[in-house]
Amino acid sequence: MMAQKRIAIYGKGGIGKSSTASNVAAACADEGYKVMIIGCDPKSDSSITLLGGKRIPTILDLLRQKLDVTEKDIVHEGYKGVKCVEVGGPEPGIGCAGRGIIVAIQKLRKVCTSIDDMDLIIYDVPGDIVCGGFVAPIRKGLVNQAYILTSGEYMPLYAANNICRGLIKINTPLSGIICNSRSVTREEDIVKKFSEEIGSKLMAFIPKEQIVQDCERDGFSVLEKAPDSPVAGVYRELAHTIMSNEGSVMPSALEDERLRELTR
Amino acid sequence: MAENDISIIHPRPSSIVAALYTLRDLNVDVAILHGPPGCSFKHARLLEEDGIHVVTTALDENGFVFGGRDELSSLLTKVNEMFNPKLIGVVGTCASMIIGEELREPVQDANLDVPVIEVEVHAGYPNNTKGVLIALESACDAGIIDPEELGRQKILLEEATNVEKRHGAASREYLTPSRGDLKYKVAEKVIDYLKEGKRCLTIMNAKKETGYMFADITVAINEVASQLGMEDNVINMANVDDTLGLPRVRHHAKSIMDDFTEKGITIHENIGGMDEYPITGEKVSGLITEKYSDFDFAVITGVPHAIPMDNLQEMEVISVTNGPRQVIPLKEMGHENVIVEIDLHPKTLGVNNIVESEFGATIREVAKDMLERNSEAV
Ligand code: SF4
Repeated sequence: MMAQKRIAIYGKGGIGKSSTASNVAAACADEGYKVMIIGCDPKSDSSITLLGGKRIPTILDLLRQKLDVTEKDIVHEGYKGVKCVEVGGPEPGIGCAGRGIIVAIQKLRKVCTSIDDMDLIIYDVPGDIVCGGFVAPIRKGLVNQAYILTSGEYMPLYAANNICRGLIKINTPLSGIICNSRSVTREEDIVKKFSEEIGSKLMAFIPKEQIVQDCERDGFSVLEKAPDSPVAGVYRELAHTIMSNEGSVMPSALEDERLRELTR
Repeated sequence: MAENDISIIHPRPSSIVAALYTLRDLNVDVAILHGPPGCSFKHARLLEEDGIHVVTTALDENGFVFGGRDELSSLLTKVNEMFNPKLIGVVGTCASMIIGEELREPVQDANLDVPVIEVEVHAGYPNNTKGVLIALESACDAGIIDPEELGRQKILLEEATNVEKRHGAASREYLTPSRGDLKYKVAEKVIDYLKEGKRCLTIMNAKKETGYMFADITVAINEVASQLGMEDNVINMANVDDTLGLPRVRHHAKSIMDDFTEKGITIHENIGGMDEYPITGEKVSGLITEKYSDFDFAVITGVPHAIPMDNLQEMEVISVTNGPRQVIPLKEMGHENVIVEIDLHPKTLGVNNIVESEFGATIREVAKDMLERNSEAV
């Protein structure tokens, strides 16, 4: 039996982590893998495209009501049996979302027996790691591979570089960089160069395609709604690369000056 | 935290606790701790003994994640109905402050016609006097004290911190607690000195309500001196000015002074308010130079380390503290004997009269034995 793959996808807020995560989940499910996706963002939109546009109750919503939460309350089956979980979060500006992630994941581990049967677990973590709670999945040993999603623009790369610093701090190697294109000039080159200079590699270049947006709006993954589109093929390829990727390295972060040069 | 940033590693009461005591001195009827149910448990219980109700919003894990605004506002309403208070205090804790809770909004939600002092404090300040300061500033904002009193308190707080850093519990990275010298041996010494006609200064420099017990030592020494016919050899100094400080502190000064008078004890020198223990040192020094430089020994009670040694060099100094970590610094200052009144705090909360101290009781007992032996010998 293959070792369970537990990955986290990091990257600047709004860069497309949730759509990448759900499309990779769907592609792996197509291949027959048992997949679980755990959305840690308070917006809870990691799983919506795997559930035909339906929102599921989040763990923290249920905990807030002080309910005795069971596995079936929080784990919902979506496209091709992908198990979907949403952590949720407090209302903006209230309480502590970081602590919320810790509490919710502890609860999930406690009540969810099927988690151990999964081939792949994807943690879709919030973009901005602002406190210890946000890196809890890694710290608590729940993740064994970390990926960073970026585009070729300066700000997402800046965030990616910072995430590398964070990974070094928490002693977690990086398994690769994924480029979600914004159609910037020389984008693939820039991200490839960045990946190499931090000591990692570019896993995939996802082109900017309207179809991704369209499927998302309808509440579906590209794999489900437009399986024959070229971009579906890219996701399939990425899913394959991730499932077979064994190598990971401790990244080194770049100096800000170098980062600017790269994107000039 | 870098190693050399660690200044003091033995636990001390936190800023939260300091804020609670300040609210007590401001005569609040209820203090609400907005945080975990166990926060500051021991002091919260003790303060109940002192006549104020201390309650908690009992923030749990859910509260940490989602905040506790509703819990706080409904608790405000509840305590208002239960205790009919004239003044309420709300105190933050690490948990509520770290998650960014705001105290003003729940107070507004509750909309009580009772003034509420909001103290946004947590336990992460190096000097716990920060808790006092925040409480006083909020009290000033709420119109409970005036800006002059706030200014005066600020000076006292700064000095209190300096005193602790110079010779107090904050003077060393770690201080081993100690029980100090044996009380009966020191009692014997005091009585012998009085018998020999040596001249004695009693200096009570007590912090607020602790004065109820330290005053008993002044009383005991005077009783024995009078039994020996040596009352004229004893001069008493005490910080019992009842015109200074927060309401409850002035009340303590008055109660203690009334008891002294009732017991026939003259306080020759009133050295300041009961919150002025950090700044009385200069005054005591001045008085000694002017009038008492030829005295043989001094018994200093309360916060002895706030009295400078400059003018005490020629005298034998015996001091009584309630801090087991104070023994080593006091000995190093040159005090021949240091005595610790254990458990002073629980015994002095909620009282309005002088309470018996262990050292006072020992002096009385030892004196009884010595005087009986003397009369048998005659
Ligand atoms: S850590 Fe802070 S909030 Fe928690 S019990 Fe201690 S003082 Fe209270």
